[in-house]
Amino acid sequence: MYRHLKITLMLLPALAVLGGLFLGGLFLGLMRSFNYMPVIGLTRPSMDAYLAIFSDREFYRSFLLSIHISFTSTLISCVLAVGAALLLRRLHLGRTVITFLFQLNLTVPHLVGAIGILYLFSQSGVFARLAAEMDLISRPAEFPALVFDPYAIGIILQYVWKEVPFIGVIVLANMQTMGHDYEAVARSLGATRWQGFRYVLLPLIWPGLLSASVIVFAFAFGAYEIPALLGAHYPAALPVLAHRKYTDVDLAARPEAMALAIVIAVLSAVMLAIYIRISRRRNGC
Amino acid sequence: MTRVVLDQLCKTYSGAHGAAVSQLDLTLDSGTMTALLGPSGCGKTTTMKMIAGLLDPTGGDIRFDDRSILRDAPEARGAVMVFQDHLLFPYLTVAGNVGFGLKMRSVAPDEIAHRVGEMLEKVQLPGLGQRMPGALSGGQQRRVALARALIIKPDVLLLDEPLSNLDAHLRMDMRDLIRSLQAETGITTLVVTHDQEDAVVLADRVALMLDGQLRQVGPPRMFFRRPVDEATARFFGGRNFIPGTCRCGVFDCALGPLQLPQGARTGPGRVTFRPEALRLAASGNGRNTVRATVTEITYLGTQTRLRLMSNGTEVEALVPPTDADGLKHGAQTLIHLPVPALWVID
Amino acid sequence: MIGGDGIWARWFRTLTCLFLLVWLSLPMVPLAIWSFAHGWFFPDILPQEWTLEAWRHALSDKSGVLDALWLTVGIALAATALSILIGVPAGRALGMHRFRGKAVVEIMIMAPIIVPGIAVVLGLHSVFIWMGLTNTVSGVILVHLIPTLPYVILVMAGVFANHDPAFEAQARSLGASAFQTFRCVTLPAILPGIIVGALFAFLVSWSQYILTLIIGGGRVATLPLVLFNFATSGRNDLTGAIGMLYILPGLLILLITARQLSGCAGAVGGLGRV
Repeated sequence: MYRHLKITLMLLPALAVLGGLFLGGLFLGLMRSFNYMPVIGLTRPSMDAYLAIFSDREFYRSFLLSIHISFTSTLISCVLAVGAALLLRRLHLGRTVITFLFQLNLTVPHLVGAIGILYLFSQSGVFARLAAEMDLISRPAEFPALVFDPYAIGIILQYVWKEVPFIGVIVLANMQTMGHDYEAVARSLGATRWQGFRYVLLPLIWPGLLSASVIVFAFAFGAYEIPALLGAHYPAALPVLAHRKYTDVDLAARPEAMALAIVIAVLSAVMLAIYIRISRRRNGC
Repeated sequence: MTRVVLDQLCKTYSGAHGAAVSQLDLTLDSGTMTALLGPSGCGKTTTMKMIAGLLDPTGGDIRFDDRSILRDAPEARGAVMVFQDHLLFPYLTVAGNVGFGLKMRSVAPDEIAHRVGEMLEKVQLPGLGQRMPGALSGGQQRRVALARALIIKPDVLLLDEPLSNLDAHLRMDMRDLIRSLQAETGITTLVVTHDQEDAVVLADRVALMLDGQLRQVGPPRMFFRRPVDEATARFFGGRNFIPGTCRCGVFDCALGPLQLPQGARTGPGRVTFRPEALRLAASGNGRNTVRATVTEITYLGTQTRLRLMSNGTEVEALVPPTDADGLKHGAQTLIHLPVPALWVID
Repeated sequence: MIGGDGIWARWFRTLTCLFLLVWLSLPMVPLAIWSFAHGWFFPDILPQEWTLEAWRHALSDKSGVLDALWLTVGIALAATALSILIGVPAGRALGMHRFRGKAVVEIMIMAPIIVPGIAVVLGLHSVFIWMGLTNTVSGVILVHLIPTLPYVILVMAGVFANHDPAFEAQARSLGASAFQTFRCVTLPAILPGIIVGALFAFLVSWSQYILTLIIGGGRVATLPLVLFNFATSGRNDLTGAIGMLYILPGLLILLITARQLSGCAGAVGGLGRV
C-alpha cells in the first residue's frame, strides 16, 4: 500500500503536466474540431469542419505532399545513414571527426539547417552562382527551382541533411554494441560479404533503424517551420495549412485548422503504435 | 579429410606492443582433434581466427592439404569457426540458425528442412527447431551452434572454448558429444581452450601456447610426465622444482641423491615431480625416500594436500585422505618419490 | 574486419568520407559568409566587401537580438529546471519499479516525442487564452514542458534502471537518514544522468518554434522567431549572424558532453527533434 502510494506520488506531477497539457491539448482540439465548446456557448457538435476539409482539393494535395515529404526524406535518410554507418565503423581516424560532425549536426536546430539549404539551393544561392561561374546559366531564373518548389526538394534536402546523422548515430551505436562477431560467424558459415549484410547485419540493426525511422517520419510529417520556410505556397505542407487556417481572419476557419491538427495527431498515433510495437518486440516481451 | 599446416604464422595488432602470435609452426593431422591450450590472452583465439579467415596474418602461411588458403575469402575456405559465446542469430529460430549455412549455399528449402531435422537429432535436440535461441538453456545453445557448423560438412572445424561457462555435468555431456561427433565425421578439428583438463580429455594432441608462442606439442600425457620447462609444468599443476645437478642418472639436490629415469638430461637443472606422484612411505630404506616434517595439512575432499619440509626445501604433495589420517602438524614422516615420476628441466 | 581490402575499396571509403564531411558542414558555410558580407549579389561566388556590420547590429541594443537571446536562454533554463524537478521522480518510478499500468504510463510519456507540437498546441491555445497564459513568458515555459519533460523522464528512467537500490539500503543501515541518503548516495550516483537530461531539455526547448509562436502569440519573441522573421524578410546578413548565435549553445553543450554522448543511442534520440 505504502509502495503504491510512493510510486503514485513520484509519477503524479509528470502525469499531471503531460496529461493536462498534452492530452488536454489533444482533447480540446478534438472538441473544437467538432465546433463543440459549451464554455463559450457552442453546445451543438457538428461535422462541418471535417466535411469542409475532406471536400477540399487543397487538403488532399497538402496531405499527399506531407506524406511525400516524410516518406521520401525518411527513406533517403535511412539508406544514406546505413551506408555512412557501414563506412564509419571501418574507419579509424576519420571516424572520430565524422562522429563529432554527426553529433554537432544533431545540435543544430532544424531552422538553421533550413536557412542554410535556402542559401545553398535557391535560384540566387551558392550552387546557382557556381553554375553561373561555369557558364551553365546566365540568369538566376534559369537555375532549377529546388526550393519553394512543388516537389518539396528543398524540404527533403534539409531533412536528409539533418536526419542522416541522427539515424546514423543510432545505427552506428547499434553496430558497435553488436561487434563484428555475428558477421564473422556468418562468413565462416559460408555467407558472402553481401549475404552477411543482407541476412545478418540488416536483421540485427532493423529494430533500431525502424524505430529511428518512425521518429523521423513523424517529425517530418508534423514540423511547421521547415516547410513554412522552404515550401511552395500551394500546395503547402499539412502543418503549414493548419497554421494558415488557424490564423485566418475568418474565425470560421478555426475548426478546420483543429480538424487538420487532429488528422496529424491520428497519423502520428499510428506511428506511435508502430514505435511501441517495435520497442516491445526488441525488449523481448 | 584435410591436413592443416600453420607455417611461421605471425600476427601483430596495429598499435599493440609485441606480437599476439609469433612464428607459430603447427600441423593438424588429417582427421585428428588437436587442442590449442593456453591462458587467456595468449593468442590462441587469434590463431583460430586467422585459420578461419576472419583475421589477416602479418606473416607466415596457412595451408590446407599443401595449398595456401590465405587469399581465400572466409566463406570459401571450408573451415568453420564456432565462437565461444555461440552467437546464435537472435532473430532466427533454431532451425533457421542451423540451416543458415545451407541457405547461403542456395540449397533447396525442403532439403534444408530435412538436413536440419537430422542434424538436431545428432546433437540431441530433436523437435526444438521452432524455438527461438533465447528460449534455450546455455548447454542447448552450444549444441545448436555446433549443429550449425557441422551441417555444412566443413573440412576443418574450429571450436573456440566449447566448454567454458558450463556447469560440471553439462560439461561432461558436451565433451562426450564433441568427441563422438568428431570421431563419427572424421573432421580435422582444432579446439581452443584455457582448461588443461578439457584439452587432455578431448584431444589426440595438445599444443600449449604461452605469450603468443608454442611451448610444447604432443600427446596429453607428455605434459604431465615430461614437461619441457617450468611454465609448462606449472600450467599443468606442477608444484615442485628443486635445483641440483644430475650426474650418471642420479640427481644431487637438497633432498639427497635421487635416482632418475632413463633419458633424463645431465648437468645442472631442476628436478620436478607432480604433487600426486609423491607417496608417504612406511619404512626408510627404499630408493628415493627422504625424511620430512609436515608443515601444513589441508583437506580437499577427494585428496589431502600436504606441505612438507625436508632439509630446508619445501615439497607439496597430494595424497589420498586415508593416507594422511594419522598425520598432524609438525609430525615426522617419510616420503617416497617414484623413479618414473621424476623429470629434469632447466 | 574480415578479409583484406583492395586499394579501390580504400579509395572509395576515403572519397565517401570526404563527401560526408563536406555535405555535413556545407549548409553552415553560406550562413557564416553572409554574416560578414556587405552586399553579396548574384553571381558573385564571394562577397565583394567584408564587414562586421551585421554582427555589430545584431549585438547592439536596438536590434532586439540580444533581448531575444536572453529571453530564449531564460525560457530554456526555466523549462529545464521544471522538467528536472518533475522528471527525476517520475524517472525513478519507471526505472526502478514495476507496477500495474506501467505500460500506459510509458505510452503517455513516449507520445509527445512522436506526436508533433502543432497537433496539440492549437487545442491548447484556447485553454491558455481562458487562463490568461497566452502571450506570456510563463505560458511559453509551460508549453515547452510538453517536449522537454519526456526526454528527461526517459534519460532518468535509463539512469535509475542501472541504479542499485542496495547502496541506499546500505547507507540507511549505516545510520543515514532518508535525506542524508539522498544527498550523499543517490544524488552523486544520478548526477551525471541529470546533467545529460538537463542539457537535452535545454536544447529541445531552445529549438522550439511552433509552440512558442502559437502560445506566445508573436509577443514572446524568442531567437528562432526572430531568426525566421529575418530569414523571410531577406536580411541575409543579419540572418547569418543570428543563425551563428543560435547554434552556439548546442556547440558548447556538445563540447562539454562529447564523451558521455558517444555511443549513447538512447540519449541521442533526445536530439532528434531539436
